[in-house]
Amino acid sequence: MSTPTQPPASPSDGKAEPTALGSNPFDPPSGPDPFVQGLEELGLDPPPAALRPVGEPPGLDDRGTAEATAHAPPPLSELGRSEPLRVLESLVPEDVMRRVGALAYLADGESAYDRFGFSPEVTRRAFPFFYALYKYYFRVESEGHEHIPARGPAALCSNHAGVLPFDAAMIVADTIMHTDPPRLARSVVDTWAGSLPWINVLYARGGQVTGTRENCTDLLDDQQLILVFPEGVAGVRKTISDRYQLRPFRVGFVEQALAARAPIVPTAVIGSENQMPVLFNFEGLAKRLGLPAFPITPTFPWFGPLGLLPYPVSYRIVYGEPLHLHERYDTPPDELDSSVIESLAREVQQVVQELVDRHR
Amino acid sequence: MRRNVLVTHADAPIGRRLIKSLYYDKRVDRILAVGAGPPPNAFDRFLAAPVQRVAYARVDLARHRSVHDLFHSVRLREAKIDSLIHLPPHGPREDGPPQLAGLAQRTAEARLLLHYCLEHGDIRRLVVLGSAFVYRLVPGNSNRFTEQSELDLSPNVPAETRAWIDSDMLFHNELHNERLGITLLRSATVVASGGFVFMNPSFDESTGRCIRPMGFDPMCALISDKDAVRALALAMHANVSGIFNIAGREAVPMSRLAEWTARGELALPGPLLSAISHGLHLTRGRRARSLLGGVQQRYGFTLDTSRARRELGFRPVYRVGRSRDGDGRLRLETARA
Repeated sequence: MSTPTQPPASPSDGKAEPTALGSNPFDPPSGPDPFVQGLEELGLDPPPAALRPVGEPPGLDDRGTAEATAHAPPPLSELGRSEPLRVLESLVPEDVMRRVGALAYLADGESAYDRFGFSPEVTRRAFPFFYALYKYYFRVESEGHEHIPARGPAALCSNHAGVLPFDAAMIVADTIMHTDPPRLARSVVDTWAGSLPWINVLYARGGQVTGTRENCTDLLDDQQLILVFPEGVAGVRKTISDRYQLRPFRVGFVEQALAARAPIVPTAVIGSENQMPVLFNFEGLAKRLGLPAFPITPTFPWFGPLGLLPYPVSYRIVYGEPLHLHERYDTPPDELDSSVIESLAREVQQVVQELVDRHR
Repeated sequence: MRRNVLVTHADAPIGRRLIKSLYYDKRVDRILAVGAGPPPNAFDRFLAAPVQRVAYARVDLARHRSVHDLFHSVRLREAKIDSLIHLPPHGPREDGPPQLAGLAQRTAEARLLLHYCLEHGDIRRLVVLGSAFVYRLVPGNSNRFTEQSELDLSPNVPAETRAWIDSDMLFHNELHNERLGITLLRSATVVASGGFVFMNPSFDESTGRCIRPMGFDPMCALISDKDAVRALALAMHANVSGIFNIAGREAVPMSRLAEWTARGELALPGPLLSAISHGLHLTRGRRARSLLGGVQQRYGFTLDTSRARRELGFRPVYRVGRSRDGDGRLRLETARA
């Protein structure tokens, strides 16, 4: 047993027990709350006062709430340090930032994070970068947003390619910008990504979750939108000769969707399969290095890490009609034969493949 | 029926709060508080009450002889103890008993208490506060655990965590005992007003600092000490056997928890931490194998508490946040929602 070292006074020893909380952060703030105002303008119900973050900036961008502030010159102390961020932020339309700010309702309790580590504040700060990628680098076009349920549990099921998961980032950005009220697609990522320093924190703060059964069940039970890539790692290491040919789908997402009675929205991403043409995959070397893939592309590994930068291909994201698989079966998925689950996964794969073929 | 309760480690912070809560519980009659040290000052008013419902005994629960004497004592017999709430050792302890050679104190206590509870004819309820750090963490900033999630049975588990798992499994083995109803609560990190943290191995190290590998900032599920005490009382009265996760509504990154509790935080390169850990292991023996750079400092978790809500009726009512203290500093605070 370790030797615990704690602050000297005891929390419940009578004398140390505080009787009042002083400037209590749990009290509702006085005056109009910009966060609540922003939500009202979006037509969303404001969360209870106690749900708002403590000691954190409000979830909604300040510049979206006060025009005077938006045009006022920034304090000298802020100049220079955050200038690149400021330039990026100026590219993002105000209504888009409001949408990102509205995701603050996902934070649990007083902590300003949700239980998976999603931080509305970090997402708000990082969003301009992804918006620039979305708008100017990949020039994303999308359609079929009406097929994404406005509320309730749902699973976006997409093809996956391109070595680095820019396809996931673009779908997440697209759903935030084109769903009403804005929904955050929680991408389900491989456990390998969770073991990478800094990357794991970035992923979590952006709302992505490790692909375990419990995590997916919890999100769907919480009426959230998840984004799955049932091809898994096999998708990202496809060579150029196999592009747009989907790898066999895993079946876990079908079980999860059936159990949560969630519709599956087939999603096709066109462009990601061209962003980094894989000529050859060194499987042996990848295994030795503990990597999911070691691709040889026209630029990697010849230009080092810079060679992993995707080509500026144009993206097209298409959402198909939702599949209500749960309406076909009255029995819970645990009682369904595994061959039934497998056939359903194959059916979803076929639908996604058709969507890809139709729009490429 | 009013219960007569034996509470272990009652002199530790959660124990003190539990005794206070049970004292004002109308469904509880007598309370026998057991601790490793002298009775805390907070018990003076209970011990000096005209109708004495609380008694205190100093017992080393990791030693066979002292536990034997406790369970065969006149005091226990006269108090007609029918329920036992076992709290793990936690919090500061200046004059605690020496460690048993080769056997963690936590495991030794669990084994002895379970043995004597099974042997004692009158004790029908055993409620144990365990830790949720027993679950196997997969790489990721946050894992969601239910009671069915896998335990970490890897041979590389640090001794500290191994002791949690061993004691957890001891109670787990007797869950279906017909005479003795056992309820095991797997708790998130317990926090208390003023910036106190209990039952989190990353915050228990003797340095008092929170050390973690660079590039990792795992989520820590939190529960207020008041909510943990409520869960223990509910479990005792519920007469439901089984395992239940308990946690509050908040989960924060480890760095944020260190900031809220005014602990120094140090992020070091992962390989350096591993090297230090191995060095400690080689120079100080197996027990010194620390958590430095281990999975618990890399990957976080939160708990699915729906079973506790459903079967015990437990819902956290305290919020964890920050408040400005008298000296102007922001400190962790818990407040009723």
